[in-house]
Amino acid sequence: MILLTKRVEFCAAHRYVNPRWTEEENQRVFGKCGNEHGHNYVLEVTIQGDPSPDTGMVMDLKDLKDLITEAVVDRFDHTHLNRDVPYFKEKVPTPENLAVVIWELLEPRLEHCTLHRVRLYEDGSFFVDYYGQRGSPG
Amino acid sequence: MANADPRARECNVASRGGEVPVVEVTRAYQFSAAHRLHNPRFSPAENARIYGRCNNPNGHGHSYRLEVTIRGPVSPDTGRVEDAQLLDALVRDRVIARVDRANLDDLIAPTDGPTSTTEVVAGLFWRLLDGALPAGRLHRLRLEETPNNFFEVERDGVGR
Repeated sequence: MILLTKRVEFCAAHRYVNPRWTEEENQRVFGKCGNEHGHNYVLEVTIQGDPSPDTGMVMDLKDLKDLITEAVVDRFDHTHLNRDVPYFKEKVPTPENLAVVIWELLEPRLEHCTLHRVRLYEDGSFFVDYYGQRGSPG
Repeated sequence: MANADPRARECNVASRGGEVPVVEVTRAYQFSAAHRLHNPRFSPAENARIYGRCNNPNGHGHSYRLEVTIRGPVSPDTGRVEDAQLLDALVRDRVIARVDRANLDDLIAPTDGPTSTTEVVAGLFWRLLDGALPAGRLHRLRLEETPNNFFEVERDGVGR
């Protein structure tokens, strides 16, 4: 079994707000993250599978890049997550929630291999890992 | 409008029937410290042979990078696993404030290990942070001595 990772980037704006809370509660919990701002997100998608006896590849990296571009990057790049993504009208667009959405978008599209991990960097000092509902290995 | 935007299609991803996803959140910190690898139970010749240049009597130092990973359910209210500001304050108070611009050899007790290898320092950091966080929250520490040398301690893994 081999793990294979493709890295892509996208840029998006967001603000943290829970629509069920008052303005004061949002300000107290989220502080400056409640202001509109943006990030250059770096997304690492790790799949696992066995190399094909014919090609020696788990998955063609070009195909994986195209799949991630179509499912994730084209959808989120240069958007405002709160305004442009219906899911985030009710959920706070944190990296945690974004990683879960990205998993749900990618996982059904993969054939002959398994999605292992979605790692999403908000910046160089903050990232999240999601391994699906089964949780992290080990 | 957003709903008419083709990019937004299929983004109404169901949250799996209300199951709360478990996510790992990692914050990175930096600190600069001096140290010297030296085990007083070894002879000078043995120390020099085992630790080489790291045994320089005058010491040396590194710009360390520490990654702290918390694992837990995503709060339905905040969308977060951990309040990053609270975690930052805890790590700075328990670890960074003690080691930044300091000599690690002053912090290592005999019970921590024989000398201030990054393995031993990572074990010390694990105990400092695990004891200050709710049970089971700390999932992994990654301590980079240089970008080329790094050490990881994981819950239920080796090295603790």
